[in-house]
Amino acid sequence: MIEASETRARAPAARGLSALRLIRRSGSALVIARWVGAAALAALALSTPGFLSAPSLLSLATTVSFVGCVAMGMTLITISGNILSLSLGATVGASAMIFIVATNAGGPVFGLVAALATGAAVTAIQGAIIGSVRANPIIVSIAAFALITGVAEAFAQRGAVFLAVRSAASAMHFQIAFIPSEFVVLLLVTALCELILKGTVFGRRIYMMGSSFRAAEAVGVSSWRVLAGVYGCAGLCAAASGALLAIRYGTADMTYGAGYDYDAVAAVLVGGTLMRGGQGSALRTLFGAIFIAVVEIILLLRGFRDEWQYLFSGLIVSFAVLLQPRQGDAR
Amino acid sequence: MPARIDRQGGYLEQTASTSEILAVEGLSKSFGAVQALQDISFSLGRQEIRALCGENGAGKSTFVKILMGLSQPDAGVITVGGARVRIVGSRHAQNLGLGLVAQELSLAPHLSIFDNIWLGSPQVPFLHRRSALRAKAREALRALGVEDWGLDALVRSLSVGQRQIVEIARLIAREARILILDEPTATLSDSEIERMMRALRSLRDNGHSILYVSHRLGEVFELCDSVTVLRNGRHVVTRPRQGLEKTELIENILGRTLSEMYPPRAKKAAAPDVLRVQNLSVANAVKNLSFSARAGEILCIAGQLGSGADLVTRALAGLAPAATGKVSFYGKRTPLRSVSKSIAKKIDFISDDRAGEGLFQTMRVLDNLIASNLQAHSRGGLLRWGKLREYARRNAERVGLNAARLDSPIGALSGGNQQKILFGRVLRNDAPGLLLLNEPTRGIDVGARSELYRVMRMLCENGCVLVMYSSDLEEVLGLADVVLTMFKGRLVHRYEGDEIEGSRILADITHPDARAR
Repeated sequence: MIEASETRARAPAARGLSALRLIRRSGSALVIARWVGAAALAALALSTPGFLSAPSLLSLATTVSFVGCVAMGMTLITISGNILSLSLGATVGASAMIFIVATNAGGPVFGLVAALATGAAVTAIQGAIIGSVRANPIIVSIAAFALITGVAEAFAQRGAVFLAVRSAASAMHFQIAFIPSEFVVLLLVTALCELILKGTVFGRRIYMMGSSFRAAEAVGVSSWRVLAGVYGCAGLCAAASGALLAIRYGTADMTYGAGYDYDAVAAVLVGGTLMRGGQGSALRTLFGAIFIAVVEIILLLRGFRDEWQYLFSGLIVSFAVLLQPRQGDAR
Repeated sequence: MPARIDRQGGYLEQTASTSEILAVEGLSKSFGAVQALQDISFSLGRQEIRALCGENGAGKSTFVKILMGLSQPDAGVITVGGARVRIVGSRHAQNLGLGLVAQELSLAPHLSIFDNIWLGSPQVPFLHRRSALRAKAREALRALGVEDWGLDALVRSLSVGQRQIVEIARLIAREARILILDEPTATLSDSEIERMMRALRSLRDNGHSILYVSHRLGEVFELCDSVTVLRNGRHVVTRPRQGLEKTELIENILGRTLSEMYPPRAKKAAAPDVLRVQNLSVANAVKNLSFSARAGEILCIAGQLGSGADLVTRALAGLAPAATGKVSFYGKRTPLRSVSKSIAKKIDFISDDRAGEGLFQTMRVLDNLIASNLQAHSRGGLLRWGKLREYARRNAERVGLNAARLDSPIGALSGGNQQKILFGRVLRNDAPGLLLLNEPTRGIDVGARSELYRVMRMLCENGCVLVMYSSDLEEVLGLADVVLTMFKGRLVHRYEGDEIEGSRILADITHPDARAR
C-alpha cells in the first residue's frame, strides 16, 4: 500500500471503532489484511469440491474478462478523480450491438473497428464535457446512460440483433492452451492500462488530475484533454468487452453489460484503488475482479442462490469501502 | 497504556500557586523511533499571552494535540487550574476549559454568527432561540472587544479575519479559559491582524490565557507577554518578552546563529529589462498595471489582501482567466490565459495555496518534483524514468532536500520541506526563466525560510527574474531589489535600492491618498 510509511497518523484511537481505525491508518496492517483475505479465499476455493475443474476454471476466466475489461476503464476514471461512470455498462451493450450490425454489413474487422470507435467517441465526449465545464461526472454519466440506452433501444426496436454468419466472428474466438481468448484480451487490456498509468506522460497527468485538480491546472495540465483521453480509453475498454460478448454469443441487446458498472466499481474498490482519485493501478483492479469472480464461483458451486450472491458482493464492497483511507489520512 | 508516571520516579506536588492556569511537567511522547516530545515542563499564567515558537517538527503540534486530548503522552503530568488531569478526548479538553482555534475554520457560512457560536454545543436544547444563549454569545463578543457586531449577521458576509474572531467567540461562549491559537494570522491581511491582536488583548484583559503558536516573530514581539521555545521536542527556554532580543529568539529556535536571514542582494549590473508588462488588467481587481523587471533581480509586489497584488502574479502565470494586457518576456509576447504556454516559455508559478494548488498529496515526492517537466523527459509520450529520477535527485539536492526521500509520500514531510519541493519543481537546467511566487514562505519556520531565500538568490544569479507577492513586510524589506506597492488594484509607487523603506511601503498599501495629500 502507498500509505505504508504513514507512521505519524498512528495515534492511539480513543475508543469506538479503534481496531478498524488502526487497520485503515497503518498501511502494513492493510497489506496484511489483503494477504489474509486472499489466502482465506484460496483455502476456501481449494476446499470447494469442483472448483479445480476445467469447466469451473474456464467459466471463471471467461466471466471475469467481460467485467474485468470494463473495470480497467473504470480504474482510469477513478484515478483521474471522477469516482465512477454509470454509462459504461450501456456502452458495453451498445457496442456489442454495433459490432454485430457492422459485422453483418462489412465483416468482423469492420465490426470491431466500428464498435471500438463508437464506444471510445461516445465516452470521450463525456470526458471532454466533464473536463471543460467541470460538470459532475456521475450526473453526466447518468445522462449518457439514458441517451445511449434510448438510441440503442429505438434502433433495435427493443429487440436483439443477431449475427448473420456466425462463423465470420467465431474465427476471432480462440484458445491458447486452454486459456479462453476473452481472458487473453483482459490481460492485454490490463497490461496496456498499466503501461499508460505508469509509463506515459498522459498517465502521470491522470494521477495528477485525480490528486488535485487545481494543482494539475497550475502546472499546465489541460483538464478537458486529459479527461477526454481518460474517458476515451474507458470507452475503448467497455467496447472491447461488448465485442467479446457479441463474439461469444452471436447476438446482442441492451441487457448485455447491464450491472457491469456496479461490478466494475466493486473490482476497483476491492483492488484498493483510492476512490477519491490520485492513487491506484490497473493490476490491483485485476486482482479485485478475480477476487470477486472467485467468490461468486464458490457460492455457485456450494449451491447458494442468486440472492446470496448479491448479499455477498454487497458485503465485500462494503468492507472495501470501510478499508478506504479517510480524507486527510494521506497527508 | 498512557500512564501518569513521573519520569523522576515520584509524584509531583499539586501546584499550589493560583497564578498558574496550566502547567506541564516532564511531558514526553514518541512515535516509533521518533521522540516528538522529551521532558517538556513549563507553565502558563492567568491572563498571559504566551508565544509557542519552534521550527516545523520542533514538537509544537504534538504538544497542542496532547493538550487537546487528541494524543496521549507517554509520560508526564498536565495540571489545569491546579488539578492534575489526564485529557482523554477533545470533549474532555473542552470541559476543562481548553479551546483550540485551528488554521482551518469550521464555520457554517450560511448561518448567523449566533448559530455558529452555538452550533454543535451539547448545552443547546432542540429549540435554541433562548435569551440566555443570546446573552452568553453577546458576552463572548464583548470579551473580544467586538460587541458592536450583530448576532444575526450571516458568517458569509464576514471577512476571513472576522470569521476567525467568531471562531474564538465560539470557544469563549463554551467557557474556554485557555485558548490555543495555531498560526491564526496566516491568512489575514495587516489590518485584520491588527483587529485580531486587539481582540486577543481584550480577551486577556477579561481573564483568559492564550497560547499563541506562530512563526511570525513580529507578531510574537507585538502581542505576547512571554515566549516558550521548543526545539527537536525539547523545551529550550521560557522567558518574558521584556528584554528578549529578536536575534536571541531566532538563535534559540534554530539552535545556531543565523548569520544572515536574507542573502546579499544582487550586484548592481546594468541588466536590461527582460520582462515588460503593459496595461495588465484583471476584472475588477487589477487596473492598468505597467511595470518591467530586469534579469537577476527580485521584484516584490507589496499589498494587502484585496489589493490585487496576488492576481498580478496569477495573471502572468496564465491562471487568471479574465486577464488582459500586453506582456513580453525577452521580447516575445506571452499569452496571458494559458498555463501550458506560459510554462513552455519558462514562466513558472508557485502558489500560496501549497496544499490545494501546489502539491499532489497522494503522490510521491519524486512525482511532485517532475510534475511540470514531463515533456522534456519523455520520448513519444513514454516517460524516461531514469532521466526523470536523475533530474529530480539533482533538483532536490539544489533546494536542500534529502534525495533519500524521493519515494516518500508528501504527507511525511514538514511544511518547509514541502515548500522546497515546489521550488525544486521550477528549477530549470536551461535558459533562465521567470518565476512567479505568491507568499512563498507562509507558515514556514525561520530555518527553512532562510534556505528558500538562498534558493531564490541562486535563481537570480542564474539570470532568472523573480516576481513575488508577499504580505509579510519584513520579508519584502529583506529580500526585494525592487518593490511595487499596490492599493485597490492600482500601482502606487515603485521603489528601488535605498528608497525601499518600511514606513513608505506601509503607508502606500494602507492609505496612499493620505500620503499624497
